Amino acid sequence: MSRQREPYLHTRISALTERLIAPDEVATLCGLSLSELAQRFGLERLLEEPHERRAKSRSVKQALINTLLNELRILIRPMNAAEAGLILAWGRKYALFNLKTLLRGKLYALNQDEIRANLYELPEHVRLPQQELFQAEGVLELLRKLEQGPYSLIAKQGREVFEQKREPFALEAALDQRYYLEMTRRLQQVPGSSQDELKQLLGAVLDRVGLLWLLRFRFSYGLSPSETFYQLVPSVRLLHRERLLALVNLDSFEEIIVALPEPMKTDLAGSQGLIEVQQRLGGHVTRVSRRILANGQSGVARALAYLILREHGVLMLFSLVQGHLLGLPRELVEIAVEAQPPNCPLPLPSAA
Amino acid sequence: MSTTRQQLTAAFTQQLLALWAMVRVRFAKAARRLKGVIIAATNQAGPALASAATQVAQTWRQLRSAALWHEIRLRPLPMKHVRLLVITDDLPQTSLTLAETESFHPDTRPPAEQLLSGIPGRDYRAIYQQAHVRLEKIAKVVPVDAAPDLDAVRVIEHDALCTINEQLNERWAEASRFEEGFRRIDEQDRFVREQQAALENFSNLKIDLGALRNKTRFLDFYVGVVPRENVSRLQGAVTLADHLLFTYLEREQSTHVVIVGPRNEKEGQLASVLSSASFQSLPIPAGLENASPAHKYDELTAERDQLQTERDTLQAEVEAWEQTHRDFLRSARQALLMAAPFVTLDPSIRSAGHLAVVCGWVPARALAELEARLRASLALPFELEHRDPHPAERALVPTVAASHRLLSPFAMLVKQYGIPQYGEVDPTPLFAVTFLLMFGSMFGDLGQGAVIAGLAWIARAKLGLFYRFGVMAGLSSMCFGVLYGSLFGYEEILPALWMSPIHHPILMLQIALGYGVLFITLACGLAISNRLAVKAVAAAVFGHHGLVNLVFYLALVWGAVGLATSGHFGTAPLVLAIGALMALAGYAWSHLQAPLGEKILVVFIETLETVIGYTSNTLSFLRVAAFSLNHAALSLAVLTLAGMMGPAGHLITVILGNVFVIVLEGGIVMIQVMRLQYYEGFSRYFSGDGRAFAPLRLRRRAVGSS
Repeated sequence: MSRQREPYLHTRISALTERLIAPDEVATLCGLSLSELAQRFGLERLLEEPHERRAKSRSVKQALINTLLNELRILIRPMNAAEAGLILAWGRKYALFNLKTLLRGKLYALNQDEIRANLYELPEHVRLPQQELFQAEGVLELLRKLEQGPYSLIAKQGREVFEQKREPFALEAALDQRYYLEMTRRLQQVPGSSQDELKQLLGAVLDRVGLLWLLRFRFSYGLSPSETFYQLVPSVRLLHRERLLALVNLDSFEEIIVALPEPMKTDLAGSQGLIEVQQRLGGHVTRVSRRILANGQSGVARALAYLILREHGVLMLFSLVQGHLLGLPRELVEIAVEAQPPNCPLPLPSAA
Repeated sequence: MSTTRQQLTAAFTQQLLALWAMVRVRFAKAARRLKGVIIAATNQAGPALASAATQVAQTWRQLRSAALWHEIRLRPLPMKHVRLLVITDDLPQTSLTLAETESFHPDTRPPAEQLLSGIPGRDYRAIYQQAHVRLEKIAKVVPVDAAPDLDAVRVIEHDALCTINEQLNERWAEASRFEEGFRRIDEQDRFVREQQAALENFSNLKIDLGALRNKTRFLDFYVGVVPRENVSRLQGAVTLADHLLFTYLEREQSTHVVIVGPRNEKEGQLASVLSSASFQSLPIPAGLENASPAHKYDELTAERDQLQTERDTLQAEVEAWEQTHRDFLRSARQALLMAAPFVTLDPSIRSAGHLAVVCGWVPARALAELEARLRASLALPFELEHRDPHPAERALVPTVAASHRLLSPFAMLVKQYGIPQYGEVDPTPLFAVTFLLMFGSMFGDLGQGAVIAGLAWIARAKLGLFYRFGVMAGLSSMCFGVLYGSLFGYEEILPALWMSPIHHPILMLQIALGYGVLFITLACGLAISNRLAVKAVAAAVFGHHGLVNLVFYLALVWGAVGLATSGHFGTAPLVLAIGALMALAGYAWSHLQAPLGEKILVVFIETLETVIGYTSNTLSFLRVAAFSLNHAALSLAVLTLAGMMGPAGHLITVILGNVFVIVLEGGIVMIQVMRLQYYEGFSRYFSGDGRAFAPLRLRRRAVGSS
């Protein structure tokens, strides 16, 4: 397999790569003022509009997500159906955010304007039938409506769990779980030549999610090993099914870190808590993505790597803008964008 | 054998010819007799007949002016932009009146005035949509009349709409319980079917099922069904709770499993996991060890029958509920239909304080009536301003489609290409005439045309408006069949009124070329006219298919005719053609921003393309003659084959051959004519990027939910 096989896609990805934020740029960006950031990333119009702070923040995030999803649309054009399906399945996380907002709105009987204010406007290829869902009278009706479309599996799983347990937590966990399971299912459908690189990439994503959920469910929510295992998604790389079975049976955070396979074990050695684990694992996903983007031969794997990095970049940019809008000190903003370790230097009890 | 067949065929043909001769003689006799009767009657009742004839002519003139020519037009109806200022309280009545006139196309552009920023109908719209969705959901459970008669049109006030919405909410809560009831019964039915499927497996197990049914002191058993995609994770999870999972049956999307393990404190954890995995416990039938599986199967069948009875009972309840609420649901539907115009109009309404503005497009001829209706229906003062569309707004002005019923199927085909922009020539009448002309000439046969027209007439219920298209195409084919003297491929039975194409191929090709020249000239003329209508003078002169192009083309044709007749292209046409080409090249040169080399290349290629394009496009019309020859040749082939058969074989071959010709060649001719229309015609003069006139109407079933 070589890049010559998909010249258009590889050229597209290489051209888009110019838009990524390099790791050594982060510190510089932290030092820029809001107007400088706006000028550099073309956000002047959004930030100059006479809206209140929350609306500004919202419109910036909306614009950044639109940029990301439009690039996704451009990248899937030359792909075959299975490859495009995988990339679209990844992009559907934003539709899932909207779905959760709608479900919470229905669960807590929020008014429609409030729900609407928290929904993202998404492009057609990942959009939910929002207006139709809006008109549903309850969670079950909403999920039943959603079962008649591309989100049928996610909605079916969510509905079954909600019918059984009637717990918002169980419902959202089921939706998240089905999202990642759908990704692994789509991965199996992609032609073999791309599988290896995709497994490395999605493996890093799933390893991160798997370990974070494991630690959270076991030690933050106090679920039993069997309940925890049921909520997890086996990875296609390090934290596969058998390893998860072994890890969930351990009784402490430290024991789990020690029992992790390499290179996770080395990467996470000495971690003090979930936030630190989250940050270090995030760094691992970024490194794998950069490696595949730079050296990968599979177009779809490079496209996904680009999108993961681009998403990381736009979210970081949003954190910077948000920090300015909220008037947060630079030290906190640097922690938020992972330019500094999460040891808050400020005497703020709520941030500690 | 062969001689006998030839003799039979000859005899059959002779008989047919004799029969035809007899029919012709009798018809001529009858015609002569009728003529005599008419002459006699005319002589006797001359004045009365003359008066009747005058009346008929007068009626015809009236009909012609009222029904046909007013509706068949080449230019769209002149439109006016109207700006209606009303008091906000009068908005619902305004929208209702506008909808009743069916002549107001809303203009959704934001107003130029900064003050007009309020959107008064937003709340009304939200309530309407909620009520509408609720009614639609109820309509999925019980039948609700989709378009009931509106006995008395009235304004649906905000409060009334809120009340209807609340009532619909209550009705939907009741109706959804029925829906849920049906769902529950279906789920139970599915579960009983799962049990029936599991029965055989239970009976084959060599273990004490009684022990499995009751939890023991030391062992914990779960037997049940789980969605197939959850099995793997459930297996891992139960392992962590010191249990084992066995799969014993897989059916569609579900898997039957047995989970077994020691009784301990992890039992509680397992219950939570089973619940997350949508595990449904299957009861192990009691007495299976003593009774036969068939007996148990019958018991489960009886259970399914019981469920069917429950379903029937629930259905009866639904019907009773529908009877009770029929009137309310009907009145709710009527109210929503009457509320719909205000909701549709909502994006076009802006307000400032108590004043609201609605803008839209109205056909100029309907303006007076619109104003009169508003004056009669609005209680509070209002102001109606109107003006002609600005040139810059031309793309936004809606086009009123050709509405004559004979043209409606052709309008549908034109719409596939696009809608004429305001000011542009509506190609529908021209399309209809040229389509019928080309189809008939390419597929001229009296019998086959009659079959097409007859089939279209018979299937008119299924074809809808499109049946007229089939009938007219068939009639055109019949007319040309009479001209060509062709009846189901036979050219000897019917004397040709004009000529048979296959015997005059060169003439047919010459006529087709002449027709092509006329068609292209007309298309260019329309393109020029369209551009002049929108004041694009430069484009009308120098643009694609503009005046200079037309001069070049006609000079080319002139030269070609001279070449064909006298062997010389001629100086005058040569000068005209070169001059026109030079003008086009000069115009392209002056409008091109590129390096010198690129400019030379582009201008050269464009000029060459003009020469090649017009030549090839004209030659393209040779297909009109080619298909008429092809049709005759195919028929000849069928008849030659039939001539080799006996009488029965002859008849069968002729029938099958004609079916083949109608289906295959008819389809091909249709495609070729469409291609000539779209490519050689529309692409020259028809932009097709206009907007269809969609006036506010009262009887809209659904308003866009977005």
